[in-house]
Amino acid sequence: MAEFLETTIDKFIFRVAADRRYSRDGVWVQECGVDGQVRLGVGDFVQQRSGDAAFVHVKPAGTRLASGDEFAEMETIKANVGLVSPVAGEIVEVNKDLDMSPENVNLDPYGKGWVAVVQAADWGADRVGLLDPVAYLSAMRAQAEEEVGAS
Amino acid sequence: MSRTATYHTTVRWKGDHRGHLVMGNGPEYEFSAPPDAHGCAGVFTPEDAYVAAANTCVMMMFLWAAERFKLRLLSYECRTEGTKLVELDRTELFTRLHFRPKIRVAAGGEPSPVVEARVRRALQSARKYSLVANSVKSEIVVDPEIVVEEC
Repeated sequence: MAEFLETTIDKFIFRVAADRRYSRDGVWVQECGVDGQVRLGVGDFVQQRSGDAAFVHVKPAGTRLASGDEFAEMETIKANVGLVSPVAGEIVEVNKDLDMSPENVNLDPYGKGWVAVVQAADWGADRVGLLDPVAYLSAMRAQAEEEVGAS
Repeated sequence: MSRTATYHTTVRWKGDHRGHLVMGNGPEYEFSAPPDAHGCAGVFTPEDAYVAAANTCVMMMFLWAAERFKLRLLSYECRTEGTKLVELDRTELFTRLHFRPKIRVAAGGEPSPVVEARVRRALQSARKYSLVANSVKSEIVVDPEIVVEEC
């Protein structure tokens, strides 16, 4: 069970799971326990900011990714949001449950709402470029405050 | 970037318990209070306007949601009732807005339960993202009747 860091901005409460790392875009990356395999999903800030998910289209297993490639697209009530992989490698599993229950991305972004598993080509190198939960919370908070402050 | 928008209406007294309303979007209406509140029959009232504002807004948001959720909408009709409470001190408020949408959609080759689940999620999103429904303090209840037609 993940533990969470939490921050409140305006009327919004954002949680950051403490057991994984993050891209600046808010994609989380969690080691799976299998050598070089990582699970990808979106953080709470991204899912709240994107809106209710209508569909999540994930690239199929076998797709090779460079770091910075889009690995999935969320169609939400408000927008189409491309999800960018911060990890190079190959998609080895996609979350098929999202076909029937895309709302899991909103309801349980760190659990049932996971998106894909990637066999990383060089996890050690990609890991260095990711933010730890505290650093991501700070970056996310700055972004959220900027957006709330603009209203 | 500004994230606010302003809407306006103008009212002018026409004598007795009557007025003239000019909407910001163009239409004009004669209005009064309801007959049971010393008004006139057959014209627009603030009570109607309140319920209509919520009903029309939820419908418009549902139409948008239906597009985003890729629903083949055949018909939408919704009777909405607003319940007024007269308090001990004779102040009044709408305590509840009860929506009863009747929605027909085409299955479009998909299993009916899948489509019906998507209609329910679209309806939840419509309620969540409706500007007016979000702005009122009345309790909001939505009792949908959903028909998925095999066409």
